[in-house]
This record gives sequence, C-alpha cells and structure tokens, in this order.
Amino acid sequence: MNDFVIADPGKCIGCRTCEVACVMAHQKDQSLEKLTVENFSPRLRVVKTAKVTTPIQCHQCEDAPCAKACAAQAIVQQDRSVQVIQGRCIGCKACLMACPYGAMDLVLTAAPAQGESKVVALKCDLCRKQDGGPSCIKVCPTKALYEVCGSKMVEQMHNRRKRAALGVMSSR
Amino acid sequence: MSRNLKSFVLADSKKCIGCRVCEVACAVAHLDTEIKTVGNMNFSLNPRLYLVKTPEITMPVQCRHCEDAPCLKSCPVSAIKEQSNRIVIDEAGCIGCKSCIMACPFGAIELIVSRQERIGDEEDCLRDEPEVVASKCDLCGGAPACVKACPREALQYVDMVKERTQRRIEAANKMSGFHNEFMVREG
Amino acid sequence: MVAKKIQENIKIDAELCTGCGRCSEVCPVDAIEGEEGKPQSVNVAKCVMCGQCVQICSAYDSPFEQYATSRSQRLKERNMPVVKEPLFAAYYHGDFFKVKKRLADKKQFSMVQCAPAVRVSLAEEFGMPLGSLVPGKMVAALKRLGFTRVYDTNFAADLTIMEEGSELVKRITEGGSLPMFTSCCPAWVKFVENEYPELIDHLSSCKSPQQMAGSMFKTYGASVDGVDAREVYSVAIMPCTCKKFEASRPEMKSSGYQDVDAVLTTRELAYLIKEAAIDFNALPEESFDKPLGMYSGAGTIFGVTGGVMEAAIRTAYELITKEPIENVNVTSVRGEQGVRKVTLDTGTLKLKTVVVSGLKNVIPILEDIQRGKADFHFMEVMTCPAGCISGGGQPKMLLPVDGRIAYVNRKFSTYQHDEEQRYRKSHENPEIQDIYKKFLGEPLGHTSHKLLHTHYKPSR
Repeated sequence: MNDFVIADPGKCIGCRTCEVACVMAHQKDQSLEKLTVENFSPRLRVVKTAKVTTPIQCHQCEDAPCAKACAAQAIVQQDRSVQVIQGRCIGCKACLMACPYGAMDLVLTAAPAQGESKVVALKCDLCRKQDGGPSCIKVCPTKALYEVCGSKMVEQMHNRRKRAALGVMSSR
Repeated sequence: MSRNLKSFVLADSKKCIGCRVCEVACAVAHLDTEIKTVGNMNFSLNPRLYLVKTPEITMPVQCRHCEDAPCLKSCPVSAIKEQSNRIVIDEAGCIGCKSCIMACPFGAIELIVSRQERIGDEEDCLRDEPEVVASKCDLCGGAPACVKACPREALQYVDMVKERTQRRIEAANKMSGFHNEFMVREG
Repeated sequence: MVAKKIQENIKIDAELCTGCGRCSEVCPVDAIEGEEGKPQSVNVAKCVMCGQCVQICSAYDSPFEQYATSRSQRLKERNMPVVKEPLFAAYYHGDFFKVKKRLADKKQFSMVQCAPAVRVSLAEEFGMPLGSLVPGKMVAALKRLGFTRVYDTNFAADLTIMEEGSELVKRITEGGSLPMFTSCCPAWVKFVENEYPELIDHLSSCKSPQQMAGSMFKTYGASVDGVDAREVYSVAIMPCTCKKFEASRPEMKSSGYQDVDAVLTTRELAYLIKEAAIDFNALPEESFDKPLGMYSGAGTIFGVTGGVMEAAIRTAYELITKEPIENVNVTSVRGEQGVRKVTLDTGTLKLKTVVVSGLKNVIPILEDIQRGKADFHFMEVMTCPAGCISGGGQPKMLLPVDGRIAYVNRKFSTYQHDEEQRYRKSHENPEIQDIYKKFLGEPLGHTSHKLLHTHYKPSR
C-alpha cells in the first residue's frame, strides 16, 4: 500500500503553516522574499468550511484516477506513492477532472525556458526528494498532520482484526 | 506564473444517450451562414466533437484546451493559437499537414473541407480544389452550442478552478468527525 | 397488397441508429422497439406512419465515421434524389422519382393539390424564415414543374366541412354513433382501426380532404377540362408521411381509378423544385386554378390542431341556428394543450366538443367512451403535436429548439392566412356552393356518398 499524509481536523487550527512549508520544500531558493501571490503554489490546501477546517491533499490512491485519466502517461505509481513526471504533462486537465479530492494543481509558467514544459502538474509528492519526510508534518504547530505508512497500515489492520476477534471472544 | 486554467467541455457518459444532437448543434453553430432546416444543407455536418459509442461507453469526446497544448506546439505554421484563454485553429493559416492530429492524445482534431471564402486572395481564387483544414472545438466563443443543445444535460462546460474548489470543500466536509489519532496512536 | 407494403414506409437505418431512444419517446403508439443503445426497429403492425420519429432523429451520417453502406446506396434505399444534406437514421420512403418521371412527360394531364400546412412551411426549405406564408409562390413553383392544374386541398377541406358538419347534425338529430370523431388524419384513423376497432363507428364516414380532392379531380375536375379520368395524374403535396399510405388504401378508388396517384411530402416537393433549378424565392405570386382551388379561411386552418373543429363550428352553428356565428374566430378551440374541451351554445343545443393533439392524449378519452362515460358530441383528433403543421413530412429542423419556433410561426401564418380570405366559412365558398348545385346535389346525398365518404376496417 502507498504511504500518504492526512490531517486530523480536530486538531487543525487553519494556520496554513503547512502550506508555506510545502512551498518552501519544493522551491530551490529558500528565501521567503521570493514568495509572491502568483507563485505561491502549495500541494496541500487548507479548506475552511462551516463544519470543518483541514488541509486537503493527495491520498496516493492505489488505483489512482488521475493516473488512469492522464493522456500523456505523466502520472505513475512509484516508490509507494503517485508521482508526476513533469516533462510529459501537456496540461489537459484530465487529472484535475478525475481527482475527487481536488488535490491536483496545474501551474503555468509565463515564459518557460527552451525545451521546458509550460505547465507543471502539482500534487503532494510526500517530499520524496527531500530528506526527513513531508515538511508539512514537521511544521504543524498542533501536530494535526500525520504520515500513514503503507506497510504499517497493513500491520495495523491485522492488529485491528485480532482485537475485533478477541472482543467477540470475550463477550461470549 | 498563472493559475487561470482554460475551460473545456466534458461529457458525462452516465447521462449521454448517444443521440448526436450535440454534434449537429456543433456543426450548425460553425456554419458560415444561418441554416435551420436539413433541406438547406448542401454539405455534410462537420462537428467538432465526436460521439464515441462502444459496448462499454457512450459519450462525445472533444478538445480539452490543454494548457501546454501539443497540437499548438506541433504546428509548423503557427496556425494553432491561444486566444481569449482558448486553443483555436486559424483555418486560413492551416496547411493540412496533420501534425496536430498526430500530436493530440484525445483524437479531438479532424480534417474538414473548409468553406471559408477567401475573397481578395487571387492565388486562392484560382485554385478550385477544396481546401482541407484542421478543425476542433473552439468553445463557440464561450457559450458552447453542444452544452445548450444536449437533451439530457450530459455536457458540462467545466470551469476547472471552480470545480476543484468545490471538490476540496466536499472532501473537507467528509473529514469532519474523522479522527485519525487512532491510527497514529497505534502507529 | 400495395397498402400492406406501404405500411412499412417508416424505417430506421440500423447502421446510423445509435439507440438513443428519443424516437420511442415521441412515438404515440410505442411502435419503436429495441434495446437501449442498440439500433431500433419499427413494429409495422403498430406504426401509424406519423413520422414524428423522422422529425426527432438526430443520428446522422457523420463524415468522420466509416459505414458499410455507401451514401448513394442509402439515398437509393430512401428513394431520395442526389442531395448533399445529412441523412438520419429514421426515414421514410419517398416518391420523388415516380412523380418526376410522370412530370417529364409533357403530354401528361396532371392535377395537384396542396395541404394547408405546406404553404406555411415550404419556404423554409429555401432559406426563408420559419413559418413563411407562401401560397402564391408555391402555386407558381407547381406550375413551373409542369402540373396542368394546380388545385387545393383547402377546397376539399371546405367540402369536408359541408359533409362532416351535416353528418354531425344528422347523427345528433336522427341518431348515430356519438361522439363523432373527425377522420381527416390518416394516422388517427389507422390508430382506431388498429387499437380500438370497436369504436370505428364513431369515426366520421367522410374521407379526408386529400381523398375528397382526389375523387373530385378524377370526376368533376376531369369533366371541367374535358379529359378522361384515366388520363389524369393526381398528385397530393402533404406535410404528412401517413398520407402516402392513405392514398394507397385499396378502397380509395371511388372515381374508378386510384383517386390520388402519388403523395409527395413538403420536403419532396422542395427536392423537385431544387432539381428543376427553379429560383423559389424569386417566383411571382400566382393563384390556384378554379374551380377546385378556391377556398375559405375555414379550409386553411385544417392544418392546425383545433382547425377542423373551428371550421366545423363556423358552419355547424349556422346549420343549427340558421344565424351567422357572432365571432368567426373561435379562439376557445385554439391552444397548446393536448386536450381542449369546448362547449358551443347554439340555443337549442349545447354542442360539446373535444380537440386532441397528440395520439397519446386521446387514449384516456377513448377508454371513457368504452366505459360509456363520454359526454360530448364531437371530437377532433390530430396525431402530430401541433397538428399537420408539425407533420412528419414537413421540413426537418437541424436543432430541436428551431422545431418549437417553426410550430409557433407556422401556426401564426395559418391563422393569418385565414384572416386574409374573403370567405371565412366553408359554406360561403362560392365554388363549394356551385359544385353542390352542378354536381354533388346536397351534402350526404347520393353522389357525395359515393365519392366523398368511406368505410373503415378493423386491422385485427
């Protein structure tokens, strides 16, 4: 099973520190001064509704609709996650239309360098290219964000089943 | 950088009955002159969306107005342009080389016989063979005829930015009362 | 045999049909069968040939698809001339070539009649606004096509009122099956024969205007011109696909010959005009020939739902009360609803009438009649949604939205044409008065009975 990041809405206070950390983690230049409204493109988004406040990000689906919808084979299952091969993206928006979470973003560069794609499809890559795991988790002041490890999840499910079975036995 | 994504038309295969009204409406919307009855048609209908009908699925397919459009990039004479946040083909400039057809992963471009009048261009007036040009969805200038004509409301004019925001809100609302501390405590 | 064959007149091209099912939604008799998403077919036993499926079908021959059948084969199957227009899955067999061949013979003595609904739709096939009123241009075109006499179904509509009005009064006063049903719409007649044979007696014994005109052409009309009935080629231009069937019914030979030899739809007439390279829009206005081309406003409103009833009321009121009707525009029977009930006070009698458009709407009323619950005298039924102006042989709209506009405009033009007429009531038409004096005698008389009335047969 793939790994993924998820938030506990009960703990989230909507401070958007995670968004800033996400942007910084995916930016070559670590200077805050370089951030503008236009280029602020986090891969998770804090959503505030009347009911709930929580960041929404990619679930690294096992049978990912975005990857299935991609016309350019630019979205692949890789390293226990769903990753975008940026050079292949043509910006057709099929992945955006496919994702039920609204977790995919498409960012356009006004003047791309020669040979570079004009579009960048952005989604949570679990900070696989950085050391130390997802940066959003590290910065959250209320520890509302967690990484769920795919292999551990399997283990947990086994534990749950065992406990469920034991529960049934003891109630007899 | 920009986040102003181009809108596009997308069909819902669950609603589509395959009646082809969208195709007819599209072809009619792109006629040079207003024609209302079938009897006045002196040529075939040339729609810019195409019904796909297989045992598994029934729905029309059309251009997605890609943000980094392969058709546009492939055109050797720059006849495919970005215009008013849409990808459009300039029929007058098209030479019919089929590169865009090769480039489009959706099969959304077709070759048609152009009926564009080329008054004032002597060289073209002398040619009497029909001009074959590439044709594809141009979103009817912002009010797609196909969407309006569909008797089952199976076609949606998608504003992707709005659509995505709505989905995030729905996803967040589903998470209220969802406690994954449990998961972590165990982990 | 002929009638049996022509019952297969409405067809669905399996190669073009996508099985969307919109035709079965409009089919009034559930005659379209097939699995969803698969090519549909027409159940000939149920079909009343109204052609509404032909009008709604949008499954056309896409230039981007490959078909096993070539376009020329498809045109041939449909009896269509070489046209470049898109072809749709639902179609009818035409009679274009048959008529063209006869017209090419310059020695052929021919008579043509035009249904009221054709003059408000024909111009649409030549790019004029939807519902343009063009009786004069239509006559001019028919003359240029070589028809010797250009007569009018509207004349026969006036004749129908004389006969049917008298029949109604007779049934009310002397007894007979009531309520009486109109019999102008061949699809409706076919429907009664197919589905409600026990109610056949309720149908007026009057032939439809097309058939009345046909039998008059080959009797009175032939004598006016001093030609033998056998020499006369009788053609009808109709907004209707079922009229082809009606003309071919074996009993429709009261003149001794097939009363109507060929029926062309509005669309087929447009093909003839185009192929003859007649510039329709530039044609002058010409007049119908006399005597069988003279008509009242009552005759022309036959093309719209409620029109037969209104025309009948204009005349019946005077027949019963011996006084002219106060307002010749009986607007209460006009309207959009599928069923309209109107009571006409004639002093001695409260004449209760029902107007139905769309066959589906008539079923509950027929069930009531069978249960003995009918409390009215006269019912007009037209199969098509807005009457003949929305018939299956009318110009086909590319877009559904234009169909609705066309119906509204054609209806408007029809009533406008009614108001333009010098005579507004069938019995005031001088040629009608004349023909009774010279030829027919009196309504329901011996000659009328022989030429203008018919009988019906249960289909099962």
